[in-house]
Amino acid sequence: MQVGGFGNVNQIGALAQQNQLDNLVSVSIRGWTNATQQDLLNFISRKTRISVRNSVVQGDTIVGYVTPQEADQLVKFSGYRFAGNSLKIHKAVGGNTNPNTNDTITVLRNVLLRRYNVQTRMLDLGNLFNDPELVQRGMAPKNVNTQSKMFPAMMKVASKEPSMVVESINLSDNNLRDVNGVTTLAQTFPHLKNLCIANNSISRFHSLEVWKNKFKELRELLMMNNPITSDRLYRTEMLRIFPKLVILDNVVVRDEQKLLSIYSLPVQQTQFFFEDNGLASSSTDFITNFLNLWDSNRMQLMGLYTPQSQFSLSVDSSVPAATVPNAQTTPTFGHYLPFSRNISKISSDKTIQERLRIGPEAIYEVFGSLPMTKHFLQEQPDAYSVQAWTFPQVQGFVITLHGHFDETAKPEIDKSKASQGSSASRGRRYNHGFTSTPNIKLSQKSFDRTMVLVPSPNGSVIIASDSLTIRPFCDSAWSKPPSPSQPQAQPVQLQPQMNVPLSQTPPNTSSIPGQIPGVLGSTPLQFSPEVQAKLSPEVQAKLSPVQLELLQKLHLETKLNAEYTYMLAEQSLWNYDNAIQGFRNSANNLPREAFV
Amino acid sequence: MNRQPQIVETFVKKVLAHLDEPDPAKLEQFLQLFNPHQCKIIFNSQPFGQAVQFLQAWQTGVVLTQHVITAVDFHVIPGTGTLLCNVNCKVRFDESGKDKNGQDSTVPANSQDSQSRPGQGSINSRSLDKPRPIWGTYYGVSLQLVLEDRIFTNDLNGVISSMNYTIVFKPSDSLMSI
Repeated sequence: MQVGGFGNVNQIGALAQQNQLDNLVSVSIRGWTNATQQDLLNFISRKTRISVRNSVVQGDTIVGYVTPQEADQLVKFSGYRFAGNSLKIHKAVGGNTNPNTNDTITVLRNVLLRRYNVQTRMLDLGNLFNDPELVQRGMAPKNVNTQSKMFPAMMKVASKEPSMVVESINLSDNNLRDVNGVTTLAQTFPHLKNLCIANNSISRFHSLEVWKNKFKELRELLMMNNPITSDRLYRTEMLRIFPKLVILDNVVVRDEQKLLSIYSLPVQQTQFFFEDNGLASSSTDFITNFLNLWDSNRMQLMGLYTPQSQFSLSVDSSVPAATVPNAQTTPTFGHYLPFSRNISKISSDKTIQERLRIGPEAIYEVFGSLPMTKHFLQEQPDAYSVQAWTFPQVQGFVITLHGHFDETAKPEIDKSKASQGSSASRGRRYNHGFTSTPNIKLSQKSFDRTMVLVPSPNGSVIIASDSLTIRPFCDSAWSKPPSPSQPQAQPVQLQPQMNVPLSQTPPNTSSIPGQIPGVLGSTPLQFSPEVQAKLSPEVQAKLSPVQLELLQKLHLETKLNAEYTYMLAEQSLWNYDNAIQGFRNSANNLPREAFV
Repeated sequence: MNRQPQIVETFVKKVLAHLDEPDPAKLEQFLQLFNPHQCKIIFNSQPFGQAVQFLQAWQTGVVLTQHVITAVDFHVIPGTGTLLCNVNCKVRFDESGKDKNGQDSTVPANSQDSQSRPGQGSINSRSLDKPRPIWGTYYGVSLQLVLEDRIFTNDLNGVISSMNYTIVFKPSDSLMSI
């Protein structure tokens, strides 16, 4: 195309293209079903020099778009032999057949919705070729081949239907000789629990092999009236292909209790552990304040470190598997590696010794050399996990925090600049200060940070030991949808200074009134402000009737909303008097949205 | 020469090797590493009152594992006789559907082939051949150990006074639920 150098040349091109598109007519091609759509298009393009654009499969027909001249040529081509059949090519009657495509989707969608049962979460796709609506539209699959075109389309439509929560699927009476035509079922419904493919003609294990390692939650399979069921190895093979299958053709094949115990750990993972309530509030306070200053002004943290305090960081550069959600595949650690004290990677004793920083000056040298960061404790409390427990030998405690942060800017003290040598620093100047070196570009990181905290005589706290692991970013293992059963999850109000009183960890009950303003003065909760003291069903299910009654009483007395009522009750250990006392002490500090 | 880093790393490897040990008879040796009077064990943010409870749960309730160290760091805390060890490792589970004893959840078929599941009878002569584990994808683990500095003098009895084991990332293609 000639480019005249005008600013709007792209626009002209786009207009021309649009114009051309408007003039396209659609053609329908039949009699191709012994080959793939791509084979056909290649064949036509080879024979006629015409390319069929935007083609889609509709039942046993391919519909595509060509210019009117091309359409006339193509129609003449009708009757040509292709893959053992003669092709039938027609020009569509109307100019624009896009509505037809939409029509197809609408038909499939209607069929799906009609065959879906909300109560049983069952999608009944049995006996599709006798479906009156599909028959009427000429879309009913008559044999395996056409089925293999229609079914993926149907699955695609189903995957765009978020309201359909499907646990069971019936595919019986579909003349299936293998599952090739319906293999996309595994992509659309990977969490399927029950599947019926009875009354088909499946005869070989080989065809089911495509579903191996798919359908990991499949519990029940019905395959009666398929030739395959009479095979001697039928049971063994089904057990192998579906690892969590419990019921096969109405017979129990696995002990479900045993199966569950094998594929789970002795305890379910939770997000937080605090050895006692006092520790819960003081450590959440501490972490929030610490990270806030770490993100904004690290110098202010230095008061927490004494001449004996130790800091070191270690880089865990092992890349998580590709199947870990959102795992960073090419992490960069350029800013951290010069300080990494990962003793499983570093053999030099001298280096190991040098990289342990003792005392505020030495520690700040590293702090200032790490990229500026932003943690998301307030915005995404679910992304962080904390364990805090007492450490009697130091009369203090240990806090471990797992989570992630964004790198927002280069370090205050740019060490990597010095180590880059002269040619690199010239490059920097030419790049206006942006380093293009890939190994120090800024990105997200995941981390684990463990601190040993010791209360100091003046009521504040010092960090005796601080060790940080930096690793590639990925989603956390504990993240689950937020639930009000974990009120500690809520971030804690920022306090102006770091002095967290830890000298006397108060016993549980007396700590409560003081704790509530701290915990409740948090950012707005994600839960909708319910008027009734209603909690999510899974929380309610865990509560005893007595607890529910207490919640109701508290709600009436305090006019707090459901979440705050629950938090109040939990923090007062389900004691009504404590809760009311706690509420009176802290009512003035509660945000407006805490009330109904 | 300062041998501390090597001693710490060797000790961590020992702990992980104990976790990967299928033989229940070796549990006793593992238990000896934990402080018998007071030992805090936190596993995935769930506390275990005593080491023996945790080890039994691990032995009976968890399939065969394989841990690989990816990062180790430690601080000796002056004047306390203790050190804090911060470890990252990855772990994968045997997803063959068998527990540590090689038992699976399959209900024996009631027909004649109940006692002859393919190949089982025939290898009795080599019954020491355990079924081969089918390893799943690696999980990420962050592990903290509070240890007594007696480990530097090769005294390993009861040196672990707390252990915090947290799975920090999980692959979506694993059959395990955590």
